[in-house]
Amino acid sequence: MRSPRTPLAWLNLTYERRRLLTALAGVCFAVLLMFMFRGFENALYDSQVQLLKLLNGDAVMVNRLKSNMFVPEQFARNRLYQAQAFEGVEAAYAFYTTTGNWKNPETKRVRPLRILAFNPSDPVLPLPGILANRETLRLPWTALVDVKSRPEVGPTRAGVVTELAEQQVELVGTYSLGTDFASANGNIVMSDQNFLRYFANLGPEEDSRTLNTVDIGLLVFDPEADPDDIVAQLQSQIPNDVQIFTKAAFVERELDYWRNNTNIGFVFSLLTSMSFVVGIILVYQILYTNVADHQAEYATLKAMGYSNQYLLKVVLQQALILGVLGFLPGYFISLVLYRMTADATGLLMQMTLGRGVNILLATVLMCLISGAIAVREVQATDPADVFG
Amino acid sequence: MATNGAIAQSDGIERTATEAKQAVKIRDLNFFFGQGDLRKQVLFDINLDLPPGQIIIMTGPSGSGKTTLLTLIGALRTVQDGSLQVLGQEIVGLGKAQLVNVRRNIGFIFQAHNLFGSLTASKNVEMAIELTHDWREKRQRASQMLSNLGLEDRVDYKPKALSGGQKQRVAIARALVNQPPLILADEPTAALDKKSGRDVVTLMQKLAKEEGRTILMVTHDNRILDVADRIITMVDGRLETDENLDQFVNTHDPKALDRHMFIM
Repeated sequence: MRSPRTPLAWLNLTYERRRLLTALAGVCFAVLLMFMFRGFENALYDSQVQLLKLLNGDAVMVNRLKSNMFVPEQFARNRLYQAQAFEGVEAAYAFYTTTGNWKNPETKRVRPLRILAFNPSDPVLPLPGILANRETLRLPWTALVDVKSRPEVGPTRAGVVTELAEQQVELVGTYSLGTDFASANGNIVMSDQNFLRYFANLGPEEDSRTLNTVDIGLLVFDPEADPDDIVAQLQSQIPNDVQIFTKAAFVERELDYWRNNTNIGFVFSLLTSMSFVVGIILVYQILYTNVADHQAEYATLKAMGYSNQYLLKVVLQQALILGVLGFLPGYFISLVLYRMTADATGLLMQMTLGRGVNILLATVLMCLISGAIAVREVQATDPADVFG
Repeated sequence: MATNGAIAQSDGIERTATEAKQAVKIRDLNFFFGQGDLRKQVLFDINLDLPPGQIIIMTGPSGSGKTTLLTLIGALRTVQDGSLQVLGQEIVGLGKAQLVNVRRNIGFIFQAHNLFGSLTASKNVEMAIELTHDWREKRQRASQMLSNLGLEDRVDYKPKALSGGQKQRVAIARALVNQPPLILADEPTAALDKKSGRDVVTLMQKLAKEEGRTILMVTHDNRILDVADRIITMVDGRLETDENLDQFVNTHDPKALDRHMFIM
């Protein structure tokens, strides 16, 4: 009977259960920190573009001055009609956004909300809740509310009657989208006609809105045509007070804005790196204690004729075991925390395969670095010291 | 792999028998600790032959260099000066990696048992067998060795569940299982009571006689001196006396001892 090599790394690690559990809790905590910080960072980026990604269109037309979604610059609706006349452009939709004051029907406190308006006959934002309520949206003084709005908005269900921009509004349905920085507390969807009812006749100091100026224009292309070609053609022939992007490029531009003009990336990268370092220190402590406790035994192995490489392997195996075993609970707890964070903030906390694998690799790397430091202790054990 | 290992090992034994005759042959060995101004000589002009089949006990006051000499013979330190042949192999000038190979033919028994708490008695012994790459019979050989030492009903116990004497016997099983021609022991009975200590040395005596092993033992334990074929005394890094048991008893007679003290 051929029996395998004695798995010394595993047996030494699992011999003291309580210490192993403490060790795994440490690794798990470091994994959790990395997941949460990465998660927040990604959520802030993902949330900024989730609305853009959902909009129905192959290309986007915006005012040249609108460098990101925060800039309230519109362009003339004529430009959309001009674009629609080009070959390969099948449809052009107008999309209006503004910010309106919303009164929470329960607390009576007023909060700013982002208003999204379009012609209900156009498939501008094809979400299930919106498609189902296209007809009811045509009724005057009605709107749909996002169920993922922040709790300050109040109850998010059909039938609620409250005030928007100091005028009565009735919620006739709900949909699910989520918040981002520009949407303040949540998003309200209404028809372009209702948009006029609320925002065309504001007070003397405020900018009144009309349907002649559009915030975002959406262009749907012939599926046969090359979107890049059409965009280039449009950009060269339509007056350059507007800019035209393919949707992917527009999303990328928005992300670039957030990456380059905010400290989000720096702050969260710093926090993630700090968690990584904390993890290295934790795992090093664990491995070092394990080696120090078995100093005499490891030295005896050396005296018996085991090489340094063998001991090196034992320590690195322990590091890997800790890494992988600590990652799993960290991953699952992170999934739960992502869920809870998403529910509490409306931010888009997404766990993708790539992100999971990234953190797994970071965890393994973290443990290997700790192992490499702890290995020096083993190499320094002198078998001659066991005598006397 | 298993057969290669076995061949290499028997080669070593044959070479020992034909060429060297002595298990250990030391000529003009000097050894220093430290470097530069702190360099201090701890062993002076050691000349010593240890033939196969002998039990040699080494005694002497602490700090006299016994343990250092033991670690040198055990190929645990690099040596630069003089000549030190262990099992026919000159180890003066060898690097650390080459010393590891020499050590595989030596059995070490320490004052502490140094067993892995996480491994059963059998697994602790198997760790030694794995060095020879004998995967097929390691479990069987470990059990057999433990049985020889009277531990047949403790094979799958962890050290925590064993008495001090039993643990030391597991450690001895680990040192002996690869049948090393040379066994080095440092105070093997220090942690044991009288009876366990006696059992351990009787066992070692039996091995030396029946299987021709060379056993070099450092000890302060006067109760076990009678197993020795030779008793070496070291004082201040030099070999002071090299006697058989009767001579040793005479020179260490209380009257003789008194005279020695006046001379010193």
